[in-house]
Amino acid sequence: MAVIKSAKDTSPGALGGLGSETPQGKDAAPLHKRRRRWQNGLGAVPFLAYVGIFLLIPAISVVTTAFQDAHGKPTMANFNEAAHGIYLESFITSIKLSFFSAVIAAIVGILAALAVTTTSNRIVRSLVSAGSGVFANTGGVPLAFSFVATVGNFGVLTVFLKSAGLDIYAHGFSLYSVMGLTIVYQYFLIPLMILIMIPPIQALRKEWVDASESLGASRLQFWRWVGIPLLMPPILAAFIVLFTDAFAAYATAEALTSGTIPLVPIEVGSLISGNVLAGQANLGDALGAGMIVVVMIAGLLYAYVQRRASRWLR
Amino acid sequence: MVTLAPSIPSKRSGDTSSNNILRLGKPFRFVVLILVGAFFIVPIASSAKFSLQGNNGAYTISAYTQLFHTSDFWASLFLSLKVAIGTVFLTLLLLIPTVIWVHVKQPRLKRIFESVSLLPLVIPSVVVTLGVITSFHNLPNIIYGTPVILALEYVVLALPYSYRTFDSAVQSIDIKTLVDAGQSLGAGWIKLLLWALVPNLRAGILGASILTFAFSVGEFAVASLLSFNTFPVFLVLIGRTAASQAVALSLIALVFTWIPLAFVMIAFSGRSTRNRGATLNTAEVDA
Repeated sequence: MAVIKSAKDTSPGALGGLGSETPQGKDAAPLHKRRRRWQNGLGAVPFLAYVGIFLLIPAISVVTTAFQDAHGKPTMANFNEAAHGIYLESFITSIKLSFFSAVIAAIVGILAALAVTTTSNRIVRSLVSAGSGVFANTGGVPLAFSFVATVGNFGVLTVFLKSAGLDIYAHGFSLYSVMGLTIVYQYFLIPLMILIMIPPIQALRKEWVDASESLGASRLQFWRWVGIPLLMPPILAAFIVLFTDAFAAYATAEALTSGTIPLVPIEVGSLISGNVLAGQANLGDALGAGMIVVVMIAGLLYAYVQRRASRWLR
Repeated sequence: MVTLAPSIPSKRSGDTSSNNILRLGKPFRFVVLILVGAFFIVPIASSAKFSLQGNNGAYTISAYTQLFHTSDFWASLFLSLKVAIGTVFLTLLLLIPTVIWVHVKQPRLKRIFESVSLLPLVIPSVVVTLGVITSFHNLPNIIYGTPVILALEYVVLALPYSYRTFDSAVQSIDIKTLVDAGQSLGAGWIKLLLWALVPNLRAGILGASILTFAFSVGEFAVASLLSFNTFPVFLVLIGRTAASQAVALSLIALVFTWIPLAFVMIAFSGRSTRNRGATLNTAEVDA
């Protein structure tokens, strides 16, 4: 309804100059063209400006503040402090936690993705892919509490196992530890792995299976020499995504452990919340800069692996 | 704490589903799917049981009813809803013109804009919060001291999900033809947006809104570190004193995020296979 009105109604606006279609003299053409190009660039401004102000400025300010002392003078003291004691330990613990969480999730995720892609049951397939999409985006505080209800001190499973004669807390298990966090993180890492791995597994071609078989390869040999090498780049890329995800996670760890386990995000958080000793004014920024460096390294590895992966799976 | 955008794979119909080329046996599939499925179902079932357990083994719904009588619960819930609605509104305001502009005017920049939208994944939200404190603390209190800052930041932090969802929706319609048709009929950009593009992009707009909303309602790090009492922050506080109430509340929160998310997943996985190269839907254009 109501589409045609007078031509005056056309509002060129920031989205481009459709009103500037009028024929002009030869001399005006370059200027006209230049104006058009300038207008064509205008549409990018709001978005880029927004990301610049609310993401890049904060990130850059963290990095620059990390190199300053409380009075704004340049110093390396913050990094020196960040690389010692509890803070160094928090980096090691964080990296360990993220690494092992990602390894477990990667293995389980691949097996699940293989199981899903090879099933012919449509309901199972759509259930798993929709479920993965949902669970991969679940995290944070509610997740922590649902695990407290399951394997916490008085969790349903804990109590059940105890009544069956197995006291898991007496055998060194604790939900409120790095081991516990590793298990909880699986809840969003495994679905993420499944989501990432389904497309490359589906891209494995029947011809490759047939070819290896007609050359006399056993099923084990197919996986050893064809399947796994082909899937390795996407697996590595996915592993890096999982690692980064686990490394940056804050809410689940904070809700579950109230900051008792030294993890980098937790340490940064407690520095923000005001648990700052004298002379540590910008220590949090140094830790934050350290986090960015870790994620950046992961990102570069990801880009490298992706480039190799795209050679095969096209 | 949300992760990558939901890139539900487009299943190639027939070829892998009918014949199991990898020759993995049925027992393998069965065992893996049952075990993994159990891992995802047991915590939910346990939460339900835990939240309904009374002190002496009897079942009670008191954990649920008590919550509704605390004013803090309602206050935190309303704050979260307000922030989430603001975030969705700002996101759409920023996203709709930008993505359409990229597709119509500068298709070469598609990849670059998508990468920009993924930037928040590289900068942990704890670090963003730290940066917000160090760089914005001089701003007028109206922005920095109120939940407005949360909405402003959530727009950026939710971009990896909202951008991709909306971007793929724009990708799936023939936007150039729509724009050309509208323009040749004399419609300006505002009219074009309202009468031709938005109606055709309803699913994408809805999907991006749901993902952004779910992200904003569940976000904990930024809100807690900037000391705003949003719903997740309240949840952690409750958890320190009343475990069964916190579990009850978590269960409600999880179910209420899963339903809309599942809707997005199902809607979009169907879309990517069916609507390849979708054409103009006349009924929708003049609706």
